[in-house]
Amino acid sequence: MSGTNGALREFTRRSALTALGAGIVGVTAASWPRLTGADIPGRGDNSLSIAIMGTAADAAARQKVIDAFAKVHPEIKVKVQAIQAVDWKDFFTKILTMVAAGTPPDVVYVATEGAQLFAEKLAHPLDEYLRRDADHMREYFEDVHPSLVEAFMYKGSLFQLPIDWNAANMYYNTTALSKAGLERPSDNWTHTDFRSTLAAMKKANPKDFTPYYWTNRLFGGVVPWLYANDTSFLKETKSPGGEWLWDGFYANDPSRSLRSGGYQWLEPNADDPRVFESFDYLRGLVKDGLGVRPEEGGGSALIGLFASNRIGTTPAGGYWVQGLHEAGMTENDFDVQFFPKWRTQRHQFGTAGYAIMKTAKDKDAAWEWVKFSSSREAMQIVFPTPNTTPARRSMVNEQLYAGKGPRNWKVFYDTLDRFPTTGPIPAPPQQAAVETALMKNVSLAVSGDERQLKDALTSMQRDLELALRRQP
Amino acid sequence: MSPATSTPTGTGSEPGRRQAAHKNGPGSKRGRVQQRWLPWAFLAPTIVGMGIFTLLPIVASIALAFFRWDIISAPTFVGFDNFAEVVQDPTVRVSFLNTIVFVVVAVALQLGLALGLAIMVQEKLPAWLRVFFRSAFFFPLILSAASVSIFMRYLFNEQFGVVNWLLSIVGIPAVPWLTTPTGSAAVVILVYVWQNFGFSFLLFIGGLASIPVETYEAASIDGATGWRKHWFVTLPLLSPTTLVASVMAIINALQVFDQPYVLTRGGPGDSTRTAVMVIFESAFQRLEFGQASAIGVILTLIIMAITAAQFRLSKRFVFYQ
Repeated sequence: MSGTNGALREFTRRSALTALGAGIVGVTAASWPRLTGADIPGRGDNSLSIAIMGTAADAAARQKVIDAFAKVHPEIKVKVQAIQAVDWKDFFTKILTMVAAGTPPDVVYVATEGAQLFAEKLAHPLDEYLRRDADHMREYFEDVHPSLVEAFMYKGSLFQLPIDWNAANMYYNTTALSKAGLERPSDNWTHTDFRSTLAAMKKANPKDFTPYYWTNRLFGGVVPWLYANDTSFLKETKSPGGEWLWDGFYANDPSRSLRSGGYQWLEPNADDPRVFESFDYLRGLVKDGLGVRPEEGGGSALIGLFASNRIGTTPAGGYWVQGLHEAGMTENDFDVQFFPKWRTQRHQFGTAGYAIMKTAKDKDAAWEWVKFSSSREAMQIVFPTPNTTPARRSMVNEQLYAGKGPRNWKVFYDTLDRFPTTGPIPAPPQQAAVETALMKNVSLAVSGDERQLKDALTSMQRDLELALRRQP
Repeated sequence: MSPATSTPTGTGSEPGRRQAAHKNGPGSKRGRVQQRWLPWAFLAPTIVGMGIFTLLPIVASIALAFFRWDIISAPTFVGFDNFAEVVQDPTVRVSFLNTIVFVVVAVALQLGLALGLAIMVQEKLPAWLRVFFRSAFFFPLILSAASVSIFMRYLFNEQFGVVNWLLSIVGIPAVPWLTTPTGSAAVVILVYVWQNFGFSFLLFIGGLASIPVETYEAASIDGATGWRKHWFVTLPLLSPTTLVASVMAIINALQVFDQPYVLTRGGPGDSTRTAVMVIFESAFQRLEFGQASAIGVILTLIIMAITAAQFRLSKRFVFYQ
């Protein structure tokens, strides 16, 4: 009896194991496309893969552009891959890991922060294509300010075409301003005017009101103040070259003589007395309760706080308009003005566009995508709302800001026209290390006494030397 | 104990003989082969997995410490240069020092809090409340550290945070939590301890449950009351659990990354920069994978040394019943 039971038990166990094994094999076989990623649309079919920073919803939103592109180039299949990231630095890190994994995208949407990193190591120059399609591209360059284009020049070659951009202008809350009994600041207001404005706002508004809110980051942090004071934390020089582009597309531009083969940031400059002066100014704002101690991060909570009249002023670009509108602000509730003047009124800007990877399977197809994306048709699809500033001057118009504000939306593009020396975010190929060196010392520099400020700048100089020690 | 149960391989007992007689039993050739290889077959997936996903990366990482490599270009052999640069880098030195300070403070708080609450919950609460607190204290551990840290950033915001708002109600002025070295270090430790003490708490709950009631009764008869019972009975008999909890807590704390990275990005200055953060920054932000590996190797050696020291010291402080 027991033997029978044993055999039965054994049989049952064996059957169960066989069934389990068959089940595992079956499930594995059924899910093989998922396991190997073969079910990802476009994988393995020679599609042009395009990486953008954003969510799956952002990728889906680009579908209209892909459809429009397909009408012009039915032979080129395109897939957009949205990569979620906290900031651009994080996005570039993810792209680099894709490169390391042997699955790099063909085209990547890159902002100024990573332009030189990509130009130095990963991207293919556009020069040959621009020369070839010069007649077609002339209309684009006529509509785009040369400062934006110069930001994507590296050692005499152009690596990207600007699609959107933003300067660090000064937003202000009109309610807070009028409570302080002040009118709109003048175009050429100075840093001392700005300080007086903050003091008046503080006096006239509730205790929990913050006159100046700023975050500790490369765009809109301390850098605009350094630029306005005619300095920076890195020594800015320019590469020779690039005549082919400037003479070919901007020969008659009044700022032609300013243009170069691209920006270079080769040495630290944190020990410049003007850097100290700028930091000391911000330290004074913090000390007197006119400005906050800057926190790390992108200030994602800022829109809500600004919209609830708890913040008086903050530096930001045109990308803020749609957010403020969605937060319930009308076009009368906020406005924008140029960044305050100091020794200069040079502004800081950042721009973004597509870079073709050196490893792209079909660079000609990639160029067609880049070229199409810079067309008015494509840009109008991508930017239906003012959630950034389009690189084409003709698109920054009344229609884009209608019913949303700000009243003085012209400030956005006028920043480039009025201040042609306005420069890009300082971002050498070692941008990540440079940004870390800057950010880690800013809070200390503006939060203590003068001695702490000096120590922080000495530390920043040392950190920047380390960051830049290996030049490409 | 009966012979039948004491000889499971069946050399003398009736059931054993029955098994040996079976063609696939342990006594048969096939049975002997099975006996020898079956455990390895079951272990194989784990061994292969560990080989590929643990051992290989460790070896690769050690090897990489002797190269300069930015992912994109070919690696260049640089000997001990990476180690020399790392040792001279003030940021790395500060981050290691921060990590040690963090470990000392955070682990002490974590274990103290966990032990205190475990004793309280075990002793003084009704059963249903015990279950509630066990779940409640363990809950933070299952949350993503990054999500928790993002949330905490809002809570501790100097201007608009709930914490300062609560303090303002009782007349305390706004504290610059995340923008001063002391404040940010305090918040990082606080958030870390809050999120991690639940694990030590559960270990202590298990440890407390294993202490025989008779021991407490004997101590009571000898005149021990209140704290003396805990001091002379609970703590000594809980020492094996304390050893395990402290080893795990120290190893985890030495690898802290998420909380300081999300809350403060290591700042202000380097005040909350930790060793693992420097590894991340070297590798994925500065693209110096060789240096990152060198820092990783140094950190691993430190963890191994501390753990070995703990086990060695445990001979003096751990008591088994």
